[in-house]
Amino acid sequence: MPKVTIDGVEITTPGAMTILEAAKLAGIVIPHYCYHPGLSLVGQCRMCQVEAEKMPNLATACNTTVTEGMVVSTKSPKVEKARRAVLEFYLLNHPLDCPVCDRGGECPLQDYTLKYGPGESRSVEPKVQRAKHQVLGPHVIFDAERCILCTRCIRFCREVPQTGELGVFSRGDRSEISLFPGKILDNAYSGNVIDLCPVGALTSRQYRFQSRPWDLVRHTESVCPLCSAGCNVILDIRDRQGGDELLRIRPRENPEVNRWWMCDEGRFAIGALNDPARLRIFLAREGERQVELPLDDLLSRLAREIRHLVAAHGEGAVGCIVSARHTNEEFSLVRRFFLDILRTPHLDHRVRPAQWAEADASEDGILRRTDKTANSRGARDLGILPDRDGLDTTAMIAAAAAGRLKALFVFEEDLVGERGDLPVREALGRLELLVASSPVPTETTALAHAVLPALASAEKDGSFTNFQGRIQKVRRALPPIGACRSLPEILHGLAERLGWDLGDLEPERVWAAIGEQPGPYQGIGWKEWRAIGPQGALPAEIAGKAERAAAREPGSLGTKERMTNVQ
Amino acid sequence: MLFEKILTRYQDVPGYTGTIEAYIAHGGYQALPKVLGVRPPADVIEAVKRSGLRGRGGAGFPCGLKWSFIPKDSAEPTYLVVNGDESEPGTFKDRMLIEEEPHQILEGVILASYAIGCHQAFLYCRGEFVKGAQVLQRAIGEAYAKGYLGRNILGSGFDLEVVLHRGAGAYICGEETGLLESLEGKRGQPRPKPPFPAISGLYRCPTVVNNVETLSNIPHILLRGPEWYAGIGPAKSAGPRLFSVSGHVEKPGNYELPMSITLRQLIFEYAGGIRNGRRLKAVIPGGSSSPVLTEQHLDVTMDFDSLAAAGSMGGSGAVIVMDDTTCIVRVAEIVSRFYRHESCGQCTQCREGTAWLHKVLRRIEHGQGRKEDLDLLLDLCDNMKGKTICVFSDAAAMPIESYLKHFRDEFEQHVRERACPFGEWGGAF
Repeated sequence: MPKVTIDGVEITTPGAMTILEAAKLAGIVIPHYCYHPGLSLVGQCRMCQVEAEKMPNLATACNTTVTEGMVVSTKSPKVEKARRAVLEFYLLNHPLDCPVCDRGGECPLQDYTLKYGPGESRSVEPKVQRAKHQVLGPHVIFDAERCILCTRCIRFCREVPQTGELGVFSRGDRSEISLFPGKILDNAYSGNVIDLCPVGALTSRQYRFQSRPWDLVRHTESVCPLCSAGCNVILDIRDRQGGDELLRIRPRENPEVNRWWMCDEGRFAIGALNDPARLRIFLAREGERQVELPLDDLLSRLAREIRHLVAAHGEGAVGCIVSARHTNEEFSLVRRFFLDILRTPHLDHRVRPAQWAEADASEDGILRRTDKTANSRGARDLGILPDRDGLDTTAMIAAAAAGRLKALFVFEEDLVGERGDLPVREALGRLELLVASSPVPTETTALAHAVLPALASAEKDGSFTNFQGRIQKVRRALPPIGACRSLPEILHGLAERLGWDLGDLEPERVWAAIGEQPGPYQGIGWKEWRAIGPQGALPAEIAGKAERAAAREPGSLGTKERMTNVQ
Repeated sequence: MLFEKILTRYQDVPGYTGTIEAYIAHGGYQALPKVLGVRPPADVIEAVKRSGLRGRGGAGFPCGLKWSFIPKDSAEPTYLVVNGDESEPGTFKDRMLIEEEPHQILEGVILASYAIGCHQAFLYCRGEFVKGAQVLQRAIGEAYAKGYLGRNILGSGFDLEVVLHRGAGAYICGEETGLLESLEGKRGQPRPKPPFPAISGLYRCPTVVNNVETLSNIPHILLRGPEWYAGIGPAKSAGPRLFSVSGHVEKPGNYELPMSITLRQLIFEYAGGIRNGRRLKAVIPGGSSSPVLTEQHLDVTMDFDSLAAAGSMGGSGAVIVMDDTTCIVRVAEIVSRFYRHESCGQCTQCREGTAWLHKVLRRIEHGQGRKEDLDLLLDLCDNMKGKTICVFSDAAAMPIESYLKHFRDEFEQHVRERACPFGEWGGAF
């Protein structure tokens, strides 16, 4: 446990660590560019140089291990001169096109220059011009003039997806980052290089020129809904006339889940939110057509029909398939509505094989999972499964085909599209009542007697339980579009018309109720959510890195901190 | 001064070819039977330590000490890598040893490998040395055929494989960790140190990297004894050294001499003095990376420590002599152009600094210099020195500082007169 002094602050480090990490423990941030806790160390930007007593030269804080009694200064005149020099060197050929650069406003080169750099350049040489708009792949554009050659992007591609599309070509001041011949930057994680880039050299083709960082008024911390990994994300919201708009999704550091990364599918899934095809109104079938009906009228009609069907065929004539895209709080209310109020045992969330616990596997050894729904684990934990002798999804479809099931609620699953192996269309066609919710029209909603527009996860509060059993908060970043109502609101209205009270709908209070009942989530408060049950292991790829990082975890600098930069 | 040639004694043999037969006929490979399987490896390292042999590549690090850093109980293989990437401007002695006496190198390789427990050695030959690579490949083949390489060398039980690898044309691959990266098939750029190669070198295994000339000394040390070797030249710079003398001298070439020789003797007694009887203006004593010396330094002895005390360094032993027709600003421009071209580009100060230095110097040489450029150059040098992964940046900055130190008036004249007083293309090179 070496004891070191950094800027006069005495620190006892918990083990071997670098100066940079030890400084972080003491709240001292040492400026850096090439260092990233999730990538190998190269020590080549030379920005993190500090002065250590008894060492003849300045030491790079990122790759110098602290030793007992070491005395370090991060702001001696020698350090300040070296730092100023590095920034002056960087800016020699930097285009200074900050006013049109996506990074402007959240750029470590800007920030460090302001804080440590020279006010003006001593160079009178013409700036080197390089290719400014190089398309590297489907998501990323490269500006060679802005690049400071920290090689984070190269190391990321080599070390995390291990696809190695990028390299430094040529040498000396002609060095440029580029694609290897015949390659394009199209690995499933390519967007991470945008976050990693400490300047505006690698920009997102989706977010490019959409906003300035200071126009992004909210940074909502949430969870990606596109698979069971549950990558932690930040949703950047721009306040626009005519409503807020989600402009950017980026990963949020969580060493236990996604570390600093997320996949491109989740990152660039903004289109689904703003999809012009999204359902905004409630529809009811009138003969061959589906026509708009106000929610109140629709609920009254549904209540009437349910009452009628149950009276005629019994409670077992109703079934519900609720997708694992819903939150734990929604599951709790769904279960209450169908099991306690309608008293049907036919309830399930499983539509695809990957949703079974044992079938959900890592897709690529990195982050992506085969279960493309966010909350199958939560559905299992909260009993969204056939009750006693209830029917599962397949059996419900069979029962519908046989005419035994009369009414089916399908929340956010396109059964027709998903279960091509079964004669779903015919089965659903025989139902007397099909209620389907979905964010966009599907083959299933086309068959429905009532269509409910569904919310996107960015439009609701609640929690998902990822494959590891980690309960993670989903936070509303945007208001619901159109006339959309949350599933709890709809179920509440229906229950009311059936003469029941569904109780509290607020996610916080629903969660409190979950915590009061026996089950895996018993006793877990809203504010103290934590992982429960046996923790699924991190995929090997990430785990190896996680282990290495764990050794220096206390000192690691997260994406958020890096992006908002060092204060 | 009469001096018994050691590394280049073959030069006095008429018609010497450098084949294995010729080498053996003139006393080659005689150290092997006396060492392999006879003397314990630790004993060999001790002998090389006692000889006082210092590395001939540039840094002058004690060779035996370097060998002794190899862990004794490593579970990983140990490698010997021969640095034949001679690229320091002005230096042409390894090239001569490679082309003319390759078996002396191989004998050194075998002995060094034995000492450090290496069974796989690599010869890294500068890419431009096409003839040298051919000669080395032939020599390796001859040595295998005679049983000096391969399994159970001379019945000693010692095995050694040797592979020749050709560089791809980068100066920085002469830096030992840059060389190792290149040898591993990666982009040739130096590694942060520590760890040093002795602990984590080629393929992250313990590795010794030795210069061609350094290894050529080993057979002689082991054959004739470290005391004999230590007796040659000054105490702390023992043994013969090949000085590559070039530039404005009457007789440029490689001169094998003890390091007790003075710069004056080297230039005026051996290299025939300044061409056409002109006056000496400047001399670079240890390759283009070493700070320049002037007439006032002529009596410095050419050993590592005396040259350092004179403000320069022994470096690679390349002595570049310039007479009074030479424009020092032009020299600085050319030297800085070289370093700009050869910087690997990974460290910011070096990548950007070498280019900036060159641009400023080019401007001054072409009559567009400003008064403040001179102090700017010095400050750039200060910002480049001692702040990067390897010493390339220092090597680029130190000579420029020295030109400004000794010839500031000439730089000022360029600025004042808005032109090069020697004419646009006047001067050296």
